[in-house]
Amino acid sequence: METVKIKNNSHSVIVEALTKKFGGFTAVNNISFRVSGGEIFGFLGANGAGKTTAIRMLCGLLMPTSGQATVAGFDVYTEYEKIKMNIGYMSQKFSLYEDLTVRENIEFYGGVYGLSRKEIREKTDYLMDYLKLWDHADDLTKSLPLGWKQRMALSTALLHDPDIIFLDEPTSGVDPVSRRNFWLLIYELAEQGKTIFVTTHFMDEAEYCHRLSIMRDGLIVELDKPGVLKKKYNAENMQDVFMKIVRGGKGQD
Amino acid sequence: MQRIFYLMKKEFKQILREKLFISLIFLAPLGQIIILGFAITTDVRNLNLAVVDADHSSMSARLIESLSATESFNLVCILDSEKEALREMDNGKIKLAVVIPKQFERDLKNGRQPQVQAIIDGVDGNSAGIAMAYIGQISRKLQQEWMQKTGVSNALNQDLRLVEIETRMWYNPSLESVNNIVPGIIAVLVMMITAFLTGMTIVREKENGTLEQLMVTPITSMELMLGKVLPLVIVGFILFNVGILGAGIVFGLWMKGNLFSLYLMAIVFMLSTLGLGIFASTVSQTQQQAMFIAWFFMIVALLLSGFFIPIENMPDWVQALTYLNPVRYFMVIIREIYLKGTELLYLWKEALAMLAFGLATIISAAVRFQKRMS
Repeated sequence: METVKIKNNSHSVIVEALTKKFGGFTAVNNISFRVSGGEIFGFLGANGAGKTTAIRMLCGLLMPTSGQATVAGFDVYTEYEKIKMNIGYMSQKFSLYEDLTVRENIEFYGGVYGLSRKEIREKTDYLMDYLKLWDHADDLTKSLPLGWKQRMALSTALLHDPDIIFLDEPTSGVDPVSRRNFWLLIYELAEQGKTIFVTTHFMDEAEYCHRLSIMRDGLIVELDKPGVLKKKYNAENMQDVFMKIVRGGKGQD
Repeated sequence: MQRIFYLMKKEFKQILREKLFISLIFLAPLGQIIILGFAITTDVRNLNLAVVDADHSSMSARLIESLSATESFNLVCILDSEKEALREMDNGKIKLAVVIPKQFERDLKNGRQPQVQAIIDGVDGNSAGIAMAYIGQISRKLQQEWMQKTGVSNALNQDLRLVEIETRMWYNPSLESVNNIVPGIIAVLVMMITAFLTGMTIVREKENGTLEQLMVTPITSMELMLGKVLPLVIVGFILFNVGILGAGIVFGLWMKGNLFSLYLMAIVFMLSTLGLGIFASTVSQTQQQAMFIAWFFMIVALLLSGFFIPIENMPDWVQALTYLNPVRYFMVIIREIYLKGTELLYLWKEALAMLAFGLATIISAAVRFQKRMS
């Protein structure tokens, strides 16, 4: 078991034979992969294929049944508290407080991540500039359009400057223009050396990923660059690849 | 510590921003104190009354006039026979019938003590007893009036009875019942708000997905729980004071005992109610579920607390059950301190029992909460 902290360009997520069982049901079955720093790693699969369970284990929200995994060099069994300091997480469900203002949300999450008052102030200024939200700083979050909220949620998840970012269907329900803006943000973060771990149902988004893994019935059935997968399945686009793979299993809606 | 601080700050902002919570916290208690305080009295008003007048004399007319002059009764009709009166009562048109016998006036003048009969619908036993007492009061007044006119001696006056009345302890007890009910309402308020809001604010984060977001932050479940619960302790405490002020201003009922003893006891009591709220949050997915669970336990606890129904009136096995109910102890404590000014020293048994139940509830709820979170 390695517990040495891995820096950029080495592997920031290492998963070996990771398994999660709920009673007799195996949600995640013996999956293994490695993700490097600065990589955008796509995690595809039909609903119920085990994506969310896998992500929850890596985020320290769920104890694995067996197998090994380190995130940012920390073990998921024993060092999940340290993992939490080093990851950002944004789920499909919008998860800022709608009844707090933009500024108050930033202040709250900053405080929870242990930032000092000064740091919180600086971060707030920075994010307001960056997201161009100055006019809405003191508006309730619920009054913002969904696309803005998603970008704000992502920024809030990054207040503590984590190395690895987990995004669980971050763009579901967002219009195409906002989705594009969101992905520009993801690219920017990857260029800063952050590892992005993203699940999505949009196949055009899948094409933006550096590498993709496709899960079916708890197993990773494919793991490669989008271009390589398209060639292998002789497909025009990722949509076709995905349909061909997923049809082979039972874990679909 | 820092995380708890930020959580509490956030929690207060949310509570203050939610109109529902604000009204729950301030309007509900005042409303309850006023409405329940006035409603749960033993005054009788506008009871439908029929008179059977078989005498048709000036004295019977005077009696009818006196009966209809009071706010307590609402004279619906004057009938000719007792039978008719009973039929009206069966139909629910009247609750009370007064039967004036034939030769009422003559018998009275001759000092022969005529019997006036009062028939009362006893479904609501409390009101029946009180109506009975009112009739007695009216009849006594009339007796005095007539006595002066007829000049019958005072000795005879003593024996003269228009209606045989049974004196009841609860006669004209409205003041007393308010005294007993209002401190009880204050206890109920604290219980409701803390149990409801605790369950609701935790489950709301579940519903909105913010709980999951919090779980990926370095916050521990202990910090999370304290951060959620402490603001509600403060809210519960404010509410408690609103209740005390309300009771004083509306009913002129101020505490006889030591305020700080009562504060201390209120905090011990809140351990149980907060525990109930936390427990409700661990078994619920929606705020409605949390409310329902909290409500279910609260109703049972309230009925077995001695708030409405004296515990001594319950069957033995139910009485035994009430010893497991923390609300029971707080009812005793708050009434004792409020009405008698009892020193805490003499309430140590209740205080200890309440503390034991409070700690047991909140610790087991907290353990369950921790387990659910990790």
